Amino acid sequence: MKKWIASAALLIFTMVPLFASAGVALDTINSNVSSVLDVMRDPKLKGEAGKKVKEQKIIDAAEKLFDFVELSKRTLGLNWNKLTPEQRKEFVDLYKTILKDAYIDKLTAYTDEKINYTKEVPLSETTVEVQSIVTTKKADVPIYYRVIKKDGGWKVFDVIVEGVSLISNYRTQFREILGNNPPSKLLDTLRKKVGKK
Amino acid sequence: MSCRENRYFSGSMVFLALLFSLFLTFAPVQGVAVAQERPPDEYGDVTEEVAASAEGTAIADPIEPWNRAMYHFNDKLYFWLLKPVGQGYKFAIPESFRIIFSNFYENLMMPVRFVNNLLQGRPDYAGRELVRFVINSTMGVAGFRDVAKDGFGITGRKADLGQTLGKYGIGSGFYIVWPVLGPSNPRDTVGLVGDHFLRPPTYLSSDLLDPETIALNVHEKVNNLSFRIGDYEIMKEAAIDPYIAMRDAYVQYRKKLIEQNGSEPAKQEE
Repeated sequence: MKKWIASAALLIFTMVPLFASAGVALDTINSNVSSVLDVMRDPKLKGEAGKKVKEQKIIDAAEKLFDFVELSKRTLGLNWNKLTPEQRKEFVDLYKTILKDAYIDKLTAYTDEKINYTKEVPLSETTVEVQSIVTTKKADVPIYYRVIKKDGGWKVFDVIVEGVSLISNYRTQFREILGNNPPSKLLDTLRKKVGKK
Repeated sequence: MSCRENRYFSGSMVFLALLFSLFLTFAPVQGVAVAQERPPDEYGDVTEEVAASAEGTAIADPIEPWNRAMYHFNDKLYFWLLKPVGQGYKFAIPESFRIIFSNFYENLMMPVRFVNNLLQGRPDYAGRELVRFVINSTMGVAGFRDVAKDGFGITGRKADLGQTLGKYGIGSGFYIVWPVLGPSNPRDTVGLVGDHFLRPPTYLSSDLLDPETIALNVHEKVNNLSFRIGDYEIMKEAAIDPYIAMRDAYVQYRKKLIEQNGSEPAKQEE
């Protein structure tokens, strides 16, 4: 009896934080994705001057949505530990720039689609997968956001589109470079890619 | 007496449990605060556990030189021929018509999905594919409209022979890039050939190079492409090595398709 009450109490109290967070991750991602899309759709931000403002606004909104440090760490995996603190900083910056350059303009085409946030699946104590379905006129595209709880908020560290994980895809590419080369070679490659823009 | 002792004891246990849960709640917050106070390496190391959260998928690529050559061939084919044709088509044909065509081809491919759902031990989905086919071929006017989904909420399930073989435990083997057809592997290539015999257009003519059959297949491809122009460009732009990025995306996509539909008991109640 004693044991039963004790373990029940323990169970209840340790479960409370779990239940309290249910749905919060989903709501956070919903509103943060919406604010990125709102900036993209904003009709006032047109022309050359508007474009600069728009880009900055999208970057600000993206910083709120993503945790680029976590995203970088999980992309490199254990290879991350071979980087010096300065190299880590530079890597995060370059990686962010590459993602921004590739996606910022082109994703505007997808802003008219309807997004349904279906559910959230706990992955670990601090990470959750928020699942969404983007309905286009032709097909339904499943987009899953992997999010981590940090400093009281939820931030995205991976996006999985139709089963293809963003960070896994880059990990395979980076591993190819890091296989026979020091981390400085990886940074060189990224610098070159960014410089070409 | 023993009863009172009991109550006292369980009370203290509850208190202890409360304390413990409080500790659990605050512990991570303190950890973060400490980490932020050290400026030299504010980002911290990666643990084994975190590193395992993403997997760099691996596939053998013994014929990489051939594959890279074929990748470049397909890349040029896309930019020089397929993309301009697709863009012209997209410009000339209104979207609503292109969706009608897309529905028509999708409906026509029902036998592929029906047979493979059966082979994968999913008669429920096979039945739904059959129902969808009947509804869309009649009320949907020869499959022009997806009435089954829009009107009745009946959705199908993608299934192909490569996926079926994967579910039977047959490994993907190595990576192959075919000209025109793109990324594949021996298992999915066998699947593609098998599925070919389940496609109704295959039986339009006994002649393999029948112009009408070819025209139909080309139109299907171009019509599908007209919805996806720009996707490949984003992928290529974002990639450090587009060849590796595409290979990995294909491996991840196929792996997910085989695993996901393999064990989803929750879906059965639908």
